[in-house]
Amino acid sequence: MSNTNISSPPVWTDREKLIFRFFFLFFILQAIPLSVDFFKTVFGFNWLHISYGDIFNLTRLSAKFLPGADSFINWIIVAIIALIGAMVWDKSKYKNINYDRFYYWLRVVVRYRLAIGIIGYGFIKFFPLQAPFPSISNLNTSYGDFTDWKIFSMSLGIVPSYETFLGAIEILAGLFLFFRKTATIGAAIILVFTGNVFISNLAYEGGEFVYATYLITFALFVLWFDAQRIYNLVSLERPTAPNSFKPLFVGKTKTLRLVLKTLVIFFFVFLYGFKTYSGFHHDPYQFPRTKGLARAAGIYNVSEFKINGRVLPYAAADSIRWKDVVFEKWATISVRSDRKVIIDSANYEQVFKNDKDRDYELAGTAGRHYYSYTVDSVNHVLLLDNKNPHYKGEQLRLNYSHPDSATVILSGTNQHRDSIYVVLNKIDKKYPLKLSRRKALKL
Amino acid sequence: MSEIKQRDIENEVTAQQAAAKKPWSWQKKFGFRVLFIFFLAMSIPFSANWYKNVFTLDWSRPHYRDLYDIARFQPSFLSLFGGQRSRDITDSPSGDESAKKDGVKKNKIEKVGAKKAESKNETGAALPPKRSFLADYVDWGIALVFALVGALIWTAFDRKSKSYHILYYWIRVVVRYRAGIGIIGFGFTKLFPTQMPYPSLGLLNSNFGDFTAQKIYWLSVGVVPWYQVFGGVVEIVAGAMLFFRKTSTFGAILLAAALGDITFVNYAYDGGVHVYAFYFVLLGLFIAADDFPKLYNLLILERYTVPFRIYPDFRKPWLRYTRITLKVLTFVIFFGVLTYTEVINFKYDPYKQPATAGVKKLRGNYRVSEFKINGEVVPFNPLDSTRWQEATFENWTTLTFKINRPVLIDPSNGGGSPMRDIQRTFEISGVAGGQRAFHYYADTVDKVLYLQDKNVMALRGGRKGADKAKDAKPKEDNWISKTAWQHIGDENKMIDKAAWSTRRDREFAEKPREVKRHRMVLKYDTTDGSRVILSGINERKDSIYVVLDRYDRQYVLPESTLSAGKY
Repeated sequence: MSNTNISSPPVWTDREKLIFRFFFLFFILQAIPLSVDFFKTVFGFNWLHISYGDIFNLTRLSAKFLPGADSFINWIIVAIIALIGAMVWDKSKYKNINYDRFYYWLRVVVRYRLAIGIIGYGFIKFFPLQAPFPSISNLNTSYGDFTDWKIFSMSLGIVPSYETFLGAIEILAGLFLFFRKTATIGAAIILVFTGNVFISNLAYEGGEFVYATYLITFALFVLWFDAQRIYNLVSLERPTAPNSFKPLFVGKTKTLRLVLKTLVIFFFVFLYGFKTYSGFHHDPYQFPRTKGLARAAGIYNVSEFKINGRVLPYAAADSIRWKDVVFEKWATISVRSDRKVIIDSANYEQVFKNDKDRDYELAGTAGRHYYSYTVDSVNHVLLLDNKNPHYKGEQLRLNYSHPDSATVILSGTNQHRDSIYVVLNKIDKKYPLKLSRRKALKL
Repeated sequence: MSEIKQRDIENEVTAQQAAAKKPWSWQKKFGFRVLFIFFLAMSIPFSANWYKNVFTLDWSRPHYRDLYDIARFQPSFLSLFGGQRSRDITDSPSGDESAKKDGVKKNKIEKVGAKKAESKNETGAALPPKRSFLADYVDWGIALVFALVGALIWTAFDRKSKSYHILYYWIRVVVRYRAGIGIIGFGFTKLFPTQMPYPSLGLLNSNFGDFTAQKIYWLSVGVVPWYQVFGGVVEIVAGAMLFFRKTSTFGAILLAAALGDITFVNYAYDGGVHVYAFYFVLLGLFIAADDFPKLYNLLILERYTVPFRIYPDFRKPWLRYTRITLKVLTFVIFFGVLTYTEVINFKYDPYKQPATAGVKKLRGNYRVSEFKINGEVVPFNPLDSTRWQEATFENWTTLTFKINRPVLIDPSNGGGSPMRDIQRTFEISGVAGGQRAFHYYADTVDKVLYLQDKNVMALRGGRKGADKAKDAKPKEDNWISKTAWQHIGDENKMIDKAAWSTRRDREFAEKPREVKRHRMVLKYDTTDGSRVILSGINERKDSIYVVLDRYDRQYVLPESTLSAGKY
């Protein structure tokens, strides 16, 4: 397979060998996506019409034996298997392998797995998809009505340029990992960077900390290869020998290596990059795609509200009367009232194709009820469906009229079959975020 | 085979050492002279205020800001030449303070009412005029010009030196300590999270879309105090690493990475401290740059690498003891005293939050159940431009309420560590949506609140007020009677005794330039705070009568588990 020229081979002690065998098995098992989601992810989409979401979900596959959310229990299972394997290996005839070569190949696997993982996240930040600019409903929700995680995401969403910068760093680190000599630099960048992501996931109660830890362990492993050398050179200021193991590829293996490497980089960098780019322009994944009622987007004051013919006046606190209503550009209406909201909190990254699964706008926030709707433009009827899984089956059927651009009148039945009549007036709302930052603002 | 290898390595070593010991080329020498002077100019404070602060510092009763001000300086040559530096938004002074300053460019402000108003100094200071990207770095340019001129003179006089290994060592020491001290000053305000306070009730009730970008960033860190602590740890660790030779490169890389991120954040969110953040990136890169070629040689070229540096001879007693003394002094001041003062600050006087406890009974979220203006009831209506929509009494001396009437946004970020509560504006800076925040002095004997608007942008008649104030004799202001003052007490002494300091005394001893603020005088009437009746004169000289009912508002956002202040 490959010949090596060894200058002064570092000697492997028995203890080092044992530890190495354990880590070898551990990382190989972690890197191979032995996941209960494997078949669902890999055969769940059409490979001829692959989308960036499919590739992203591929990059996120890690060893997972238990269905449901990722957890460290899977790690423990992997560790136990690796420990048993390392013991058995010790007794087998394969005990005396060329450890340098095995170490090299293990580092190849870990490098590539880490690169793919980090690039997976890199591109959806580079083309700011992961944290979109907050929706009108989100802008008109009290700060205290969000979860930590949602605040984090929206705070990133208002600055696409910064999100792009973060994505660029992740992609750069990933590219460094595809090459042996620069891998350590890539790993160091990831440690500083993903270390921060890891801590912020803990702090903001995001759901990514298991996966972030996964990437961190991989990066630590890649960096470890050179760590002692760097310490020796930089801290102790002693002459330092470089890595001496260089794989030799000749003939067929050379071609094979080139083909494989090209394929991986093509698929996860060029194809995926192109797909996220076009996705950013045609189909961002966090918000629904279906267009909403024409020319209606905005926030509306509820100037009149009748229930079963009875007028409810404005009130500081009223759980029935609506306070304001938002029509998004897409087919979502959100209603603010004092009616309690049980929060829908999905907080780990998934890319959904169908509008009904895209719950980013209501995830992690109270204060408003969110309805997806269909428009029957012939009979002027809106059919509203509560998007929150806690309110499944809550439907409103409302006739609408749009007498002028600033007024919408809704009348029909609410979820309790009460008849309601609502007059909405558009508010000319201005947001500091969307205005010049260098002028005095009067709002 | 291995013998040949061995010989190769030995040859390599001698070759590399010989190369390092060679005399420097003239380009290299000139380049070094420029860098030396440039980084020296960047690392030494040149402002009179800095020295004034150092020499008038009362070490027996220190305040964290005394030390923070030692750590926080950046090149400012323009001010030496009498030019105006635009202020840092982070440390933009509050209105009263900046009203003292003159000569700030006037900015055009949107029409106020029907009359055109021009912003005076008090707003100008908080709102830097638009400048080009490079104009922010003009002081660096001046430092570079100095360096070039200095290097030319140096070159003319110094014909003998072959190389500058020892000087190189010393300039790196200077930069290491400058960067270390600077970042530690920053780090401690995060370690004991006061730099970004947890949002007040009034902020929690504001809509996300009513904040400026900068406010959103500040709040997003404020809601997770433990993450802020982590940020502080990173900054302090980077700083501490810079004090030691073995770890200085790692500290420098960490510093450049962390502050590079913060630089970008400041550009993206308009935070206003991009220059100061980038300053540390520059210092960090300069320190780490020495090891980059070696690391490149070792990792990328995979060649045998021999590090080479010449150190001063520290066996000389005077050098040894000076070094130890300075190092110990740095640690005592910037780890010992600074930690102590920061803990005190966090516990009793968090520098962006008002420090004085508010009236105990009046705290929480209130619904405005009834509202009369000049005896006439105004029914609840979200579109009404006079009625209060909702109100909060914070834990400290602030009343906030919302009115559907636009207000000029205060663009500062409530920094600068003023001592008076009224100047601590984090609750209102960067907030739109009709939110108002009033500071109050409470006369708990006669049950009267003396309120003043915290937003200096909303000054009443900025046109008249500031001009009038230029008169030699400002009128004696007695809207609060002597008796009332006796009931209210001395604000200086209202915080916990542990947090009293000479700095605080001095600031309270100064008579603040009276800025004409909106004022209200309201009697309050309540048994246990669940229902509060306010009556009196509002900021528009109308008499108002307000009934407030407290309610328990459930927030989704988890409460802070690390609250600053003592209320």
